[in-house]
Amino acid sequence: MIQSTSLLESWTQENNQLASGCKLSSHVFLLLCLSLSGIPPHLDRAQLELSVVYNTCVCFTAQSQFDEAELLLTQTAQRLLQIAGDDPGTSDPSVLWRTALKSVTGTALHRRVLSLLCLQWGVWLAKSRLTAVQDFQEVSLLEAQSGAVWNDCRAETKEKISNIPILVLDPRRLVDLLKICTAIVQGAERLTEGWSVLSALQAASASPAPRALIAYTHLLSGSCLAHMNRPQMALQCYRKALETDPRCVCALYQSALIYSRLENSQAEIQALRILHSMLLLPSTTEPAMAADRLLSPSLFLCSQSLSSLLSVPSALSVLHSLALKCVIHSRVSEGVECYLDLLAALQSEDQHGVRVHAAVSTLPKLPRLYLEAGAALLMARRPADCMALCDEVIGSTLDLLPEKVLLEDPVARRVAGSGEVTEEAENGLVRLLWTAAAYLLQGHCYSQLKDWKQAVTHYTRCINLLVKVHYKDTDKDAEQGVDLCVLQRLKGLSLAGRGISFAQIDRLREALRDLQLSRQAHPEGVSARRWYGEVLWRLDRKQEAAACWEQTWSNPIPSLSEALPVYAQELQSGPLLDSAELRQKLQELGPT
Amino acid sequence: MMEGRCAAESWAEFGLLGKSGSSLVKCGTGTDVFICTGGEEVYVFTAQEKTLRAVLQMPAAVRDVVVSHDEQLLFVACWSGVYCVNVQLLVPSFSHDAGSGPTELKISTECLVAVADRVSSLLVVGSVLLTLCRTDASWSLTLYQIQRTSQSDPCDLLASFSLPLVSPKVQSDTESRCVLVCVYPGDLMPASSPPHPPRSHYPLQPLLFRRLFGAEAALSKSPVVLCGLPDGRLSFLPLRIPGSRLRILHSLEQSVVFVGASAVMETDAGCAGCLIALGKQGRAVLIRAGRAGLEGGGGTRFTLGCVPGPVECACMDQSRVYYSTGSDLLMVDLWDGSSGTAGRQGDKEDEASRSNPAAFLTPISLNVSGVVALHQPARSSAGEVQLLSLSVRGRLQSIRLPVRTQEDSLSKGPSSQVGRSVGDILSAIGDICERASVLKTIIRSKNQILKQLNQVVNISFLLSNRSESDLKPVRCRGSVRWSRLLQRDSLNLTCVLENLSPFVLERGWTLSVTVLPLSCPLEAGGEASSVNYSFPFSGLGPGESVEVSLPVAAAGDASFPVTVTCSLLFSLWRFLGQEEATAPLDLQSACFSLPLNTLTVDWLHALRLSDPPAPARSSSSPADLLQGFISSRQLRCRGGQASRPEEYSARVRVSSELLRDALGLAPGSPRVSLLEWLLSEGCGGVKMERKGIKTDGSSSVICGSAPDNATVKLTAEEVNVEEKTKPLVIVEVQVKSSSVAAVCGLHHAVLRRIQTLLQKAGSSRMVPTTDLRLALQQAEEQRGQVWEASSVGVSSGQTPPLLLRVYQQLRDGPLLIL
Repeated sequence: MIQSTSLLESWTQENNQLASGCKLSSHVFLLLCLSLSGIPPHLDRAQLELSVVYNTCVCFTAQSQFDEAELLLTQTAQRLLQIAGDDPGTSDPSVLWRTALKSVTGTALHRRVLSLLCLQWGVWLAKSRLTAVQDFQEVSLLEAQSGAVWNDCRAETKEKISNIPILVLDPRRLVDLLKICTAIVQGAERLTEGWSVLSALQAASASPAPRALIAYTHLLSGSCLAHMNRPQMALQCYRKALETDPRCVCALYQSALIYSRLENSQAEIQALRILHSMLLLPSTTEPAMAADRLLSPSLFLCSQSLSSLLSVPSALSVLHSLALKCVIHSRVSEGVECYLDLLAALQSEDQHGVRVHAAVSTLPKLPRLYLEAGAALLMARRPADCMALCDEVIGSTLDLLPEKVLLEDPVARRVAGSGEVTEEAENGLVRLLWTAAAYLLQGHCYSQLKDWKQAVTHYTRCINLLVKVHYKDTDKDAEQGVDLCVLQRLKGLSLAGRGISFAQIDRLREALRDLQLSRQAHPEGVSARRWYGEVLWRLDRKQEAAACWEQTWSNPIPSLSEALPVYAQELQSGPLLDSAELRQKLQELGPT
Repeated sequence: MMEGRCAAESWAEFGLLGKSGSSLVKCGTGTDVFICTGGEEVYVFTAQEKTLRAVLQMPAAVRDVVVSHDEQLLFVACWSGVYCVNVQLLVPSFSHDAGSGPTELKISTECLVAVADRVSSLLVVGSVLLTLCRTDASWSLTLYQIQRTSQSDPCDLLASFSLPLVSPKVQSDTESRCVLVCVYPGDLMPASSPPHPPRSHYPLQPLLFRRLFGAEAALSKSPVVLCGLPDGRLSFLPLRIPGSRLRILHSLEQSVVFVGASAVMETDAGCAGCLIALGKQGRAVLIRAGRAGLEGGGGTRFTLGCVPGPVECACMDQSRVYYSTGSDLLMVDLWDGSSGTAGRQGDKEDEASRSNPAAFLTPISLNVSGVVALHQPARSSAGEVQLLSLSVRGRLQSIRLPVRTQEDSLSKGPSSQVGRSVGDILSAIGDICERASVLKTIIRSKNQILKQLNQVVNISFLLSNRSESDLKPVRCRGSVRWSRLLQRDSLNLTCVLENLSPFVLERGWTLSVTVLPLSCPLEAGGEASSVNYSFPFSGLGPGESVEVSLPVAAAGDASFPVTVTCSLLFSLWRFLGQEEATAPLDLQSACFSLPLNTLTVDWLHALRLSDPPAPARSSSSPADLLQGFISSRQLRCRGGQASRPEEYSARVRVSSELLRDALGLAPGSPRVSLLEWLLSEGCGGVKMERKGIKTDGSSSVICGSAPDNATVKLTAEEVNVEEKTKPLVIVEVQVKSSSVAAVCGLHHAVLRRIQTLLQKAGSSRMVPTTDLRLALQQAEEQRGQVWEASSVGVSSGQTPPLLLRVYQQLRDGPLLIL
């Protein structure tokens, strides 16, 4: 008996040494655990054994070895039942734990068993076994009641500290952590299933927990409100999340999405800008949890729906959407800066470009980025830069262009397999459209520089490329539809551009022909119609001109949209007709 | 063409090469060379001082070695991961005496910077380290960020790309290394790269680059990684394009050994206009940019070529590829002046070379054997090319190629020999010796194969020149025996192959025996019931024989007679010492097949004899007759009419005189001997193994059971008849059984035997064989009908009348043979 006692003491001391050591390892605890489990279970040693098991499992969990932890926990529960002489005759963990807990109620072991049960809870949570966690929640209520008892025990045992085995992690802190993590994971799951989880999340947000986790509860509340179609309240929640944890980039991203939905473009641009700068800071994606802690909350937050709610696109994608928004919402100079940053980032030698691979890229193809940037430069009245960019695109695509492109019947193509289209992303048509768009932009540049001859040359090159595409049916199906639409618009725009250039150098017949063709290719083109009227006027066909103007009078040039590439829309870069002058002309005509 | 022999100078010996790792020679920093010999060591050799500077002891066998661009870090790939060593550690410290031998460094797992399973190749592009690993289902290319600050920290994983394996069988060869190279557009000079491009990095002509990798790669000026895989695929990955993935450029259909690029034209200005990939068996592909504006926007020309393989390792300089076949080092000039520079080569010529790839690449031998690893050639200012090679014996040698100009090759004066040191010549002699021994073993094995082939052809002639009726000098004899195994009776045929020819049947021949029941209905798919047995045997000298045994039929199986066709097979793949399973499919069936004789097992062979019934039955004493009558009455009364099994019988009559003559008997009782002869004589090349035939005196009776378990009685009696008003003594053989099939089969068998008997005797005597043949035909017809009837099924109503008709026919025509 004396020997046994001394052995007990030495084990206790060993445990305490390990627990207070700076480098915790599950191996050494496991060794101790094994040496303890070698002797038959006994009530005297149970206190120590349970403490060692607790420490071992905490280490296991910290190293993400959940299976090992669970196995050890189940074995311990069975050993406990051996002591009590109880046999539930099942290996179902929840039944085991219930029986074990019942058997130790009122004894000194109770709180030890409870803390082990908490670890089991953590393991379930980490393995996303939420039903098991739900079953267990009633027990956790029970545990909350016994909180007072714990404190008593603690005060009482403080005196003879040396004899008590030290725990590596305070069970109360573990419980707090698990509570909020459970709330977050359950909230995310139910949110994906379409439930309202506001009250639970708001309750969780009041609990003591790391800031990052509190921010997650606010974030989820926001998502919930957004689902319930209350964007303003959702924005409030996101703001709270950001206030709680400034590194919660997801809240920024969600806010940007909501602003976009509210069509508050200025706020959206602002949000995107901040988001981009946040993403460029080192290690923002991983919320910096307190490093001194043994158990990181991320261990318990591995649910699929949560990570999809928390996902944020890559910095480059954010930069691209920021640039596009700026250009579309007439903040051209900012947009140009963003585009140039983006192109620089893509060209850079360092790992930044390579790292893009990691996330699934939502960036458009590089030539399209170049052309968008070129369009932005053109709108910012920097034609020389725009031409340089277009030259690069033309240089890289020109000798890859097919002699002609024949678009098959959309129905036949669909039968042939839709997977083929995405497979061959850079096919002839796409390349041809890139090159044509580059020529179009160069034509725009020259007309901005008032070099009409060069403009005519480049518009002609564009047209010559576009007529290489033959297609039978104008039936637009979903995949080819965008390409066909771009094709038609490019045709319309280049013909209009050439017509306007011809008009500028007084070759009115050619101008009239081109503008007419342009109207056929793209009937919505406003400037083509106005210039058509102008040319008619100059040809002294004033009645027709008046009719044409009357027709187009009401509708202004449409603002840019996101549905089509910027370069395939009317950029208002060319020579404009003064509407006051037109009106005057009409009035002149009126009396006659 | 190239008369000047190259000078091979041996620099160091590293011992025999290991098998577990790969053998490599790679340039390091300055004049340092890193050498791996297939073991766990990496040797650092200074080319300038020709001394071994350091030895790195790795924890596992080395797979690949690569140096970072700034030449500060050395990455070593082992089976389990990539280790990083600072090159500064390899430079001997000042206190360290240069003469005291190489620095030895033991590399531990602390230097492990990337944990990866089964790393095959390494490459460094800028600050990115790439590893190519084979996993169970795919090849995976993984990108790591090289740590600049402290090299002991593990590298950050940037991204990983995978390419699924084609099929596990093709890629069973896990040992062969993959090739990883990097190409980039030639108009782009990477700012961080050293002035001379590192090994495995090739600037590519911008047009070719665009054509191969698309506008996006060209626009982003992205370096592109090319992987040559052991399954023959050449795949590529643009590094800097968001969302790019591994795609296939070409498939060489054999393990890719080398990928390089060559500067073709003068206008290229240092960038390569041609990509080249070499396969293990010598297939080569040259990839060049074609004319603009071809359909599909591709416009790249893939020219296939072929060099004599196998290619062990290769390297190339501006326009020449050097490769080793293991027995020789060869040089291929890609753009030889005589064959036309690629720039001037028209499309027509190119088409011709595509259609005839063998004529495309003609290598020049450099007479150096046993090279397993080559290092990128260095060209001195005088135009002399120097190659570093590692031989299979672990010798590091410097191979110096003479200056190759037209004048040189024409006026190769002795002056070039004078300056050569004795050491050079000695090592050259050593090389020749090695090469000669390799060639000698090849010639010896070829001779061996030719000798064997001669034997095979001799035997083929011997056996194929004779007609079926001739006795072949190699033939089979057979004997049948019933045996009982696991409660099942089966008829076993023991087949004895005799070699009576003067030639030896050597190892590699196979006796093939096909068992085909004759009476299986053809419309039911005749081939289904044929069974084929193969017996490989090892050598059969003249006069020797070999015995094999095989089951012919089981009890209850009545599909007799059975034809047993014997033939000899010799697979051509035996010559190459390969098993058939590993041979290519189209060649698996390439073999000599020589038909031998055919054996026939008929009803008589398959007859199981039992003791004859009580003599009372045959000797018809009145008491027995009465007893018989009573029992028959009883049966009839008890079971009704149908229960009594009907007895069928058939008779064959042969003139006694004829028999006597044919069997060569003394005038006596031919009937006994006829039965004995019927049951014992080997007919159709098959004998029966029987204990002895019990017959009683006057009328011989044999009882037995047929294979379909029906009891059968065979009797032979001498009868006096009158034929064409002439008294005659004949022997009548009667077959009696309750089974029609047995009666028909036995009748047929008896007839057949008598036919062969009479045919044998026919040479000396006129025998009415025409009648006999007629009878035989009739019997065969009947047998067919019986088979048909039984296969239609007993239940159908047509069967009994048909059987009855056959029976009637049998009864009505007791044939008389005179």
